[in-house]
Amino acid sequence: MNFLSLLFRNLKNGPSTEAFPFGPARTPARFRGRIAFDAPSCEGCKLCERVCPANAIKFTKSADGLAFDCWHDTCVFCGNCEFYCPTKSIRQTTDWHLAHTQAEKYTMVEHGLIPNMKCVECGATALDTAPNVAKVKPAMAAEEVAELRARCPKCRAKFLKARRAKP
Amino acid sequence: MSSSHETVATPETFTIPVGPLHVALEEPMYFKIDVSGETVNAVDINAGHVHRGIEYLTTKRTIFQNVILTERICSLCSNSHPESFAMAAETIAGLEVPERALYLRVIAGEVKRLASNLFNVAILAHLVGYETLFMHVMEVREIAQDIKESVFGNRMDLGAMCIGGVRYDVDDEIATLLTRELDRIEPEVDRIIDTYRTNGSILGRTRGVGVLKREDALACGVVGPVARASGIDYDVRMVAPYAAYDRLPMTVHTLVDGDVWSRAMIRLAEAKTAIELIRACLRDLPGGPTHLDDRPDIPRGEAIAKVEAPRGELVYYLKTNDNPEPERVKWRVPTFMNWDALKYMLTGAKIADIAIIVNSIDPCVSCTER
Repeated sequence: MNFLSLLFRNLKNGPSTEAFPFGPARTPARFRGRIAFDAPSCEGCKLCERVCPANAIKFTKSADGLAFDCWHDTCVFCGNCEFYCPTKSIRQTTDWHLAHTQAEKYTMVEHGLIPNMKCVECGATALDTAPNVAKVKPAMAAEEVAELRARCPKCRAKFLKARRAKP
Repeated sequence: MSSSHETVATPETFTIPVGPLHVALEEPMYFKIDVSGETVNAVDINAGHVHRGIEYLTTKRTIFQNVILTERICSLCSNSHPESFAMAAETIAGLEVPERALYLRVIAGEVKRLASNLFNVAILAHLVGYETLFMHVMEVREIAQDIKESVFGNRMDLGAMCIGGVRYDVDDEIATLLTRELDRIEPEVDRIIDTYRTNGSILGRTRGVGVLKREDALACGVVGPVARASGIDYDVRMVAPYAAYDRLPMTVHTLVDGDVWSRAMIRLAEAKTAIELIRACLRDLPGGPTHLDDRPDIPRGEAIAKVEAPRGELVYYLKTNDNPEPERVKWRVPTFMNWDALKYMLTGAKIADIAIIVNSIDPCVSCTER
């Protein structure tokens, strides 16, 4: 290797390092960074909580509904939650700006709430989760999914049974 | 002291401590080295500084969590651990991994090997005192790091493996990126190989240093580049092909001298082979799914799986019962045998060469002590 030619090449090309924080740093589109949770599309299956190796994801039942919390101080950014999530309601963004002060450590949490609702059919209190319709045949239209969603789990089962019975 | 006229006799030999911090890498290994003057007589290795109880921890996590946990045992072999763990679980459940996933597993493994081997030879240049070459090899390795970040989303922990396949896919855009980056790194690796073959500073410090004779290598049961540099033709990818290695143009490189230089040259040759293997995978990549649907059920059973990590043969034993957590996970890492051979390599060596010889087995202490 001719180190003189390498020297000239390096002089011509400038530094290999990134100018961050004074300039932008390259972030690939597939970068596995901060977790983002989309409550409206969540089925509430809690699979992410089970596959999370760091136990960073916690679901808690409250009077308002089912709360989702992902603690970024515990998260290892492995992406198991996103990979196993059946609805892709949980995903990793390309945001890696996670440096924070000690005072902020309890607020580094991705929070989401699946609210309670009243079933349109029986009036029972149920979680407003997205219905799992991926395997329903024939495929459901958006209006039908909305109708199904407005029901409690028991009434959803009845609704689907009635739909299957239709010719 | 009975008399002030007595002189203290200079002992023939000394015992000097080397480590535990910063012997070659920032990994803790502690050597008690018995020397006569500048020459090493005997070596005693003291291990256990980074024992974290991960084997125990795996029995407290479910199989699906363990794929991620095993990835975090060590950063440089971080793909080989979950791969062999997943292979053991797949053996127990009798799962057929999709063909495309097998090729994608090879790509992930070889990208890691390329970066890992370049890292080790870079550290060799640093220990020799050739900082310009060290910085240059690290800059070339940065291309491999960028590949990992762009394709897998992280510079070290790829997160590529899952039970029943892989978690990532190579689309046209990623295939183009891989090809472009490999085209960039390949001529650089060629030039690095030339430099290590001809440069006087490198040759002077590494030729004939830390020799491990073939019979000693066999006695210690060394694996990986350490074994292949001592003339032992053993590579798991060849003798017990896993993933798609039996369908790829695999070359096993061997040298006979067993010195530090030979081990570095084997690593460089394997970095070159890794590039060829990734290219072959991209060329032959079959279509189809990248993983099995859902989370497969792993029944009661036990299995052994082995892969060729950048440092050599990595063996996993997995025993499951009716719980989601495994009953026992045990792994044997290449460094365990390779550091035993340090006793042979260091005996008769000069004190100044200790760091170079220790680095030449590419020790991975965090794997070994887990």
